[in-house]
Amino acid sequence: MYSLLITQFFRSKTVWLTVAILFILSVLSISTGKQFLSQQNNAIAKTIEQQQKHLETQRQYNKDDIGLLSYYLKFSFINPVSPLTGISIGQSDINSHIQSVSITALEAQKHNTDLVNPMRQQVGNLDVSFLIVFLFPLVIIALNFNVLSEEEEKGTWKMVTIQSKSSFRFLLSKISIRLVFVFSILLCLFLGVKLVLNIPLSSDFFAIIAMSCFYILFWFALCFFVILLRNSSNTNLIVLLASWLLLVVFIPVLISNYINKVYPVDEAFTMVIKQRDAYHEKWDTDKKETLEHFYEHYPQLRKYGFKTEGFSWLWYYAMQQMGDDDSKTDRDALYKKIKKREVLSKKIAQFFPPLQLQLSMNAIAKTSLTDHIDFLHATTKFHEDIRLDIYPKVFEEHHPDTVDFEKYKPEFFISELNFTWVKNLLPITLITIILVGFAVFRNLKYFK
Amino acid sequence: MKNNDLVILLGKQFFKKTFFTRGLLVLLSLFWLVLVYVTVNGWNVFEARHDSVEHHQDASRESWESNPDKHPHRMAHFGSFAFRTQHPLSIFDSGLESYTGNSIFLEAHKQNTANFSEAALSTGLVRFGDLNIALLLQLILPLIIFFIGYASITSEKENGTLKIMYLQGASMKQILLGKAVGLLMVSALFFVPALIALWSIAFLENHQVNSEIIMRSLLITICYFLFFIVLCFITVIVSARSKSSNKALLSLLGGWLLFFIIIPKAGQVLGYYLNPNLSKIEFREAIETEVAKQGDSHNPDDPHFNKIRDSILKAHNVSSVKDLPFNYSGFLMSKGEEQTAKIYADQYNKLIKTYEKQNSITNSLVLINPYLAIKNLSMGLSGTDFYTYTNFLAQTEQYRYKQSQYMNKLQMKFISNKAKGSEGKIHVVDKTYWKNAPKFRYKYLSVSKTTDYQIISILALGIWLLLAIVVITNFSNYFKII
Repeated sequence: MYSLLITQFFRSKTVWLTVAILFILSVLSISTGKQFLSQQNNAIAKTIEQQQKHLETQRQYNKDDIGLLSYYLKFSFINPVSPLTGISIGQSDINSHIQSVSITALEAQKHNTDLVNPMRQQVGNLDVSFLIVFLFPLVIIALNFNVLSEEEEKGTWKMVTIQSKSSFRFLLSKISIRLVFVFSILLCLFLGVKLVLNIPLSSDFFAIIAMSCFYILFWFALCFFVILLRNSSNTNLIVLLASWLLLVVFIPVLISNYINKVYPVDEAFTMVIKQRDAYHEKWDTDKKETLEHFYEHYPQLRKYGFKTEGFSWLWYYAMQQMGDDDSKTDRDALYKKIKKREVLSKKIAQFFPPLQLQLSMNAIAKTSLTDHIDFLHATTKFHEDIRLDIYPKVFEEHHPDTVDFEKYKPEFFISELNFTWVKNLLPITLITIILVGFAVFRNLKYFK
Repeated sequence: MKNNDLVILLGKQFFKKTFFTRGLLVLLSLFWLVLVYVTVNGWNVFEARHDSVEHHQDASRESWESNPDKHPHRMAHFGSFAFRTQHPLSIFDSGLESYTGNSIFLEAHKQNTANFSEAALSTGLVRFGDLNIALLLQLILPLIIFFIGYASITSEKENGTLKIMYLQGASMKQILLGKAVGLLMVSALFFVPALIALWSIAFLENHQVNSEIIMRSLLITICYFLFFIVLCFITVIVSARSKSSNKALLSLLGGWLLFFIIIPKAGQVLGYYLNPNLSKIEFREAIETEVAKQGDSHNPDDPHFNKIRDSILKAHNVSSVKDLPFNYSGFLMSKGEEQTAKIYADQYNKLIKTYEKQNSITNSLVLINPYLAIKNLSMGLSGTDFYTYTNFLAQTEQYRYKQSQYMNKLQMKFISNKAKGSEGKIHVVDKTYWKNAPKFRYKYLSVSKTTDYQIISILALGIWLLLAIVVITNFSNYFKII
């Protein structure tokens, strides 16, 4: 009987149309990922090459003044893109992967953005995660919405109930063919992704596959639930599409808007103004006081004393430091807000599988907002290390030729994974089980 | 005359029949509810943001003006912030708002990026889209129209009533037009309140009503009206061409998915694929190479700037820059600024051209996709599109240049050539000059400019309308009655 059902399944035009559309979109989405990866990697290679060139030029322009040379020199800190980024680009096209910072006040530098066309960002990426979150549900709906109602409308269902051993099992086998079909497409997609993007077979990659599989099971469960309400094909289609529209389009937009409204981030503006003012006002205030604050922050530098006559690089870099130090309250408030946004997003997403899948894919691919904030924090550390290394050389007025600036090579950020299996898989599994359980329970009397 | 009466009659009949269906009232009240929520919410967010921007803009200026007597170059680096204000109509259609930078620091010799876009501070959820009235009108309402209208002709066919209508003297043309009019009347129940929301924003948000915002609202109203007429016609035509209601629904939904979701994304992906833009590091490198080629004012041995120095010395008949009647380093910086600003502008314009090329695929697709046409028009007229944003950036750069040159002039005029650096209280300029420096005032791109940019979208909507009318009136023979 299976073979007949399979033949029947593949006779439908919908199936071939689905395959064709999915194929084209898979190619598009994988190449989107590929292009993004190669572009980011190019930029990284360029950054490394550029830093060397930049150092040579600046050494030439500022031969004798180490303070001035240190003012111009830029050091790169890079957040490398993992091949998984190609699957879920997430927020990484909005937030820069490369920081090039000088040892002056950091806060004026680290929020600088990349050059990206805002139109493209608004339309969004057609990456593999989009394909799975947005379009796979539609495929599942198109394949399943009339598995039962069509038989009823054509009058064949009565024959099935009379002739087959169990009409429930018949229905299940029809659905299972579709399930296998969708899973094979998904598998092919991931195989393509693996080969084209050169993704190693790591637990992270399997986590993405697992999350996607559970997501697909969820949509099958939803379809199963709706078709067992036993309405007409058209009603089923409308109900399922309305749920798709709600779950994938409308509710996410509503929630995202809600989160940003609950936690508006005014602190960003306050912080940048504070950072500017805190540094610049020191030009007109008591130098000793500025240095005192500076030494409070770095007691180990106190030995450089309080030279207050005229201009000195010691005083200059102390002023720069104050820009960062004095804006710290506002900065912490900003990060706290962002953290709150992130926590609330995750909390709400548990109840909505599309959101859950998108956020967890971003987390696994390390393209989420949290990952970017982690990168920013690491940048602060990177910047401080270089600062503290260079400060003594400037304060002791070493000649630039005696200082080994070449040793400051571009550094790479090592990120941590912000993904836990149980937390991400449990909610979606529960929702799926509840949907299936409820559908079966309601129809117990029909199926023996 | 009689022809029109019949069309109206059929339209009214369709309207009545649909209006009293069980589901419609529920759907309509839901839509209205959401509309009210979206409008009120969007409005509150707008007001809060507007206040925040104004507050911070004032705070930034206040601290600028409260600077004591200083060396002007210190002020050139003190710099100013431009916080981007949103157009009131962004409540209606927020367009690119979430993705465009909100704060930009304007200082001497350095073009900073516009930072802190809403999306940069948001979680991945922001990529699902923005909540505003335009979302309801552009994505959701078309689906509702399809749901309401997919069976408009097929159900008559399936019930056998189409034959009867035809035999009683209604031509296919009249039936199609009648159904389309009826469908438009039903959809008006949805979109007219949304347009009322638009007009209330136009009248209430701007403290004094100006012709500019009225013009924008008027054009938006006309464009959406055209868009929905086109959609209603298409729905009826598809219904008439389909064998069964089931098929009509499937084709309309497939069409929605293709035209509203897939084509816009694929267009942008393709545009980017064909015209990738420089990364920031490459962009900066291009500028640095050009500066090195033309001469770098930061390089003490630069031949280009040394030549300028020599000619200036000669003109003033002195042997050392110390003897010049104006501050030489101020002069040098103003020359350097002039040169780098020009080089930057060249590179920047190239970048914008590349962006425009990336968008060009989407922009030419408007001819086959009315959704893209209305999307572009709605964004443009609401002051939230690509051109409005690049225009903002251009204005900030212009201001930055003026501000730097203002300081350079002060330095040339008031600072002695004996000054070594900008430290201390001796070589300073009176603080009243800080107050006199012009403020940054952002002017929105004018409506006429916007319509110039979006002319193709307006044309596209017009062509679609014409096409739909021609199909219904001249090719009605192609629609089968049985």
